[in-house]
Amino acid sequence: MLEVSRLTSGYGSMQVLWDINLHVKENEIQIVLGANGSGKSTFLKVVMGLLPQWSGELKMNGADITPLTVADRVRGGLGYMSEQGIFPSLSVEENLKLGSLRTQNKSVADQIDHVYQRFPELKERRRATAGGLSGGQRKLVGIGRALIAEPKVLLMDEPSSGLSPRYVSEVIDRLAELRGGITLVIAEQNISFLTIADTVTVIEGGLTRFTGHIDDFTEDESLKEAFFGIAGH
Amino acid sequence: MLFEYAIIGGILLGIFYALLAVGLNVVYGAQKIINLAHGDIIMLGGYGAWELYYTYHISPILSTIIVIPITVVLGYGLNRLIAPRLLKSADPEMLSLILFFGLSEVIEALASLVFGNAARALPVNSIPTSRLVLFGQGYSATWWVSASVILPLLGIFLVFLNRTSIGLQVRAVISDAVEAAVAGINAKRISGIYFGIGFALAACAGVWGVFIYGGVSPTEGPAITVTAFAIIVFGSLGNTVGTIVAGVIFGIFYQLAQVYIPSWSNLVPYVLVIATMLVRPQGLFGRRQRIA
Ligand SMILES: Nc1ncnc2c1ncn2[C@@H]1O[C@H](COP(=O)(O)OP(=O)(O)OP(=O)(O)O)[C@@H](O)[C@H]1O
Ligand SMILES: [Mg+2]
Repeated sequence: MLEVSRLTSGYGSMQVLWDINLHVKENEIQIVLGANGSGKSTFLKVVMGLLPQWSGELKMNGADITPLTVADRVRGGLGYMSEQGIFPSLSVEENLKLGSLRTQNKSVADQIDHVYQRFPELKERRRATAGGLSGGQRKLVGIGRALIAEPKVLLMDEPSSGLSPRYVSEVIDRLAELRGGITLVIAEQNISFLTIADTVTVIEGGLTRFTGHIDDFTEDESLKEAFFGIAGH
Repeated sequence: MLFEYAIIGGILLGIFYALLAVGLNVVYGAQKIINLAHGDIIMLGGYGAWELYYTYHISPILSTIIVIPITVVLGYGLNRLIAPRLLKSADPEMLSLILFFGLSEVIEALASLVFGNAARALPVNSIPTSRLVLFGQGYSATWWVSASVILPLLGIFLVFLNRTSIGLQVRAVISDAVEAAVAGINAKRISGIYFGIGFALAACAGVWGVFIYGGVSPTEGPAITVTAFAIIVFGSLGNTVGTIVAGVIFGIFYQLAQVYIPSWSNLVPYVLVIATMLVRPQGLFGRRQRIA
C-alpha cells in the first residue's frame, strides 16, 4: 500500500531524514517509534506532501506519488492527523464537519454522533472553540476528524500525546476496531500502541533502525531496551 | 436632544462604516495583507453606481447587488495573479504593500482620466427621499436608506461565513491553511473567492459612499482606506463581528464629534487608531496582541 525507500528530506538546507525505508501493506497497522527529534513528524509530513522530498522513492499502490500535490494525495486516499490536529479558531463541531468534506455519501450527522458517543466530553463542548480545549480534548477532536474523513491510509502523528491513560486505551480500542478497513501509520512514543501493531519501524536520527514484523521487534531485546531506554520507560 | 440625535444618527451612519471597513478585514483574512487600494475599490463602486444610474437608469439600491458579481470576479482574478508572487517573495508583507499602493495609484490615475477630476454625485431622488422621524427628530433619507440596504447585506454575509459549507471552509483556511489543505480544501480557490468577496463588499460600500460623502471623486481612495483601517484596528484585525461593531461605534464617535466639535470630526479616524494602539493594541475584540 505504501512503500518508502531511501527517502531523505529536511528543512531548508538542514537535513533531518537521512535514509528512511519501510513498507506498509493494505489494512496493516504500523507503529513508527522514535525518540524526540528522531524525525517521525518530518517523515509523515513528507509522505503527505507538506514538505519537499529530497530523494528516494515514495509509492502508494505501486504508483510513484512523489510528484503529487497535497490535494492529489488527499484525493488518492491519503489522510493525515497532524500533531496539532485541529482548527483552533473553529468550534468542536465545525472541526468534525470538516472531516466529512470528501465523504459526501454518508450522513455527516451520524458520523459526528458516532464520535460523540466515543468521546462524550466532546459532545458537551461541541460549541466550544477547539483552541480553548485541553491538550487531550484537542487530540480527541483531531482523531475524530481524521476518522470521519475515512482515508484509505491514515498517517497519525502522536495520537496519544497529552491524553490521559483512560483515553489512550480508548483511542487504541477505537483504532483496533478499524482494523481491516484502513491502513494506519502511527508515529508514537507510547508503547501501548504496540498492542495493535502488525509491523513496527524504529527511526533514530533520521535513519531506519528497524523495520519489520512486531514479533521480530519484540524478540530483539537490544532494540527493545534501546528504544524503551530512550523513551524513558 | 442633540445627544440623542448624535447617537441615533451615529448608529445609522455607523452601519455604513461597518460595511466600509468589513471588506478590508475580509481581504486581510483571505491573504493576510492590508489592501492599500481598498478605498479605491470603494471609489470604483461609486462610479459604478453613477454609470448604472445615468446610463441604464438603474436604482442605486439595485446597483448594490449588481456590483457584487463583477467585483467578486475581479478580486478573484487579482488574487490568483498576486498570491503566487507573494508566496515566492522573501518579504511578502512589504511586497503586498508596494503592490497595493501601486494599484491604488493606478486606479486613481485611471479614474481621473476616465471620469475627470470633478466629483460626481447622484440625485437625492434616486433613492427614497422621506426623512426618518424618531422621537421627534428627523434623520436624513440617505442615512436610513443606506442602513436598511446595508444591514441585510451584512446579515447575508455573516450567514454565508458562519452557516454555509464554503463559509466554513473559508474560516478553516484562515484558521490553519496547512490543516485545511490536508482536509481536502482547495485553499487557493477558497482564499481567492473570499478575497473577491472583500472587493465586492468594498464596492457595495462605494455605492452608498456617493450619498454619505455627497459624491465620488478619483482622489477619495486613500482617506477612505485610512478610515477603514482605523475601524478594523479598533475592532481587532481579522475579527469580522469586531469590525462591524467597531464600524457602528465609529459612526457614533464621528456623529458626536460632528455635533459637538464639528471642525475636529475629520480627525476621528486618526485619533481612533492612535488611541487603540496606546490603550488596547489588540483592539476591542482581540485576545492576543497582533502586529498590523
Ligand atoms: N519546522 C522546522 N524547521 C526546522 N527544523 C525542524 C522543524 N521541525 C522539526 N525540525 C527538526 O527536525 C528534527 C526532527 O523533528 P521531528 O519533529 O520530525 O521529530 P519527532 O520524531 O517528531 O519528535 P517528537 O517526538 O518530539 O515529536 C529535529 O531535530 C527538529 O529540530
Ligand atoms: Mg513529532
